[in-house]
Amino acid sequence: MELLVFYLFAAIAVVAALVVVLQRRALYSALALIVCFFSLAVLFYQLGAYFIAAVQVIVYAGAIMVLFLFVVMLVDPEAEFFRLSRVRNLPVLAVPVAAVLGLLLVWGISGMEMTDSGPGELAELDKGEVAVLARDLFSDYLLPFEVTSILILVAVLGAMVLAKRTD
Amino acid sequence: MVSTTHFLILGAVLFTIGALGVVVRRNVITMFMCVELMLNAVNLTLLAFARHFNQVDGQILSFL
Repeated sequence: MELLVFYLFAAIAVVAALVVVLQRRALYSALALIVCFFSLAVLFYQLGAYFIAAVQVIVYAGAIMVLFLFVVMLVDPEAEFFRLSRVRNLPVLAVPVAAVLGLLLVWGISGMEMTDSGPGELAELDKGEVAVLARDLFSDYLLPFEVTSILILVAVLGAMVLAKRTD
Repeated sequence: MVSTTHFLILGAVLFTIGALGVVVRRNVITMFMCVELMLNAVNLTLLAFARHFNQVDGQILSFL
């Protein structure tokens, strides 16, 4: 049953990801990406990361993708401004390279020996519990947490400076 | 229980599709969406290892 759920949502995620890449219109890509994020949230839940699954739905599928849709709908995504000049016939080269990369990754992963590390700090019941997450986040990982907040602040300021510039 | 390897391979496949999208697509917005896809593939890998080793650290890393 669990395996069935995994395969179902893995297939949905992969198909949605392919639609993101292959779809010509940016709006449909964004919608497919939302589908992909939702199925990934189900897989996160299956991994016992309940809080991360909720965050995935609220922040990614909710906030970030709505922002994407706003951008796509407000400005013309086909405008010349958004186009990077690139080599022509890139897919001819890129698809085999990506296929080789994917096959290498899959080959490496399936060749890996998965040793069981024994019981870690989490009991089976504690998995994904927010209290455990918060305890570690605000003790061991306090510095990375604060550095991340400063990084986001810098990004916001940079975006404002770039948007305000008039010349 | 679904094995960790299943999740890792799914993460690798999604990452590859995202990388392909970044290279192939010429539209900046779509490229950014593909980067987002790669990010989530890595998150999936982190969470798979977090479950594998029974540690909360992977979840924190994917949260940050």
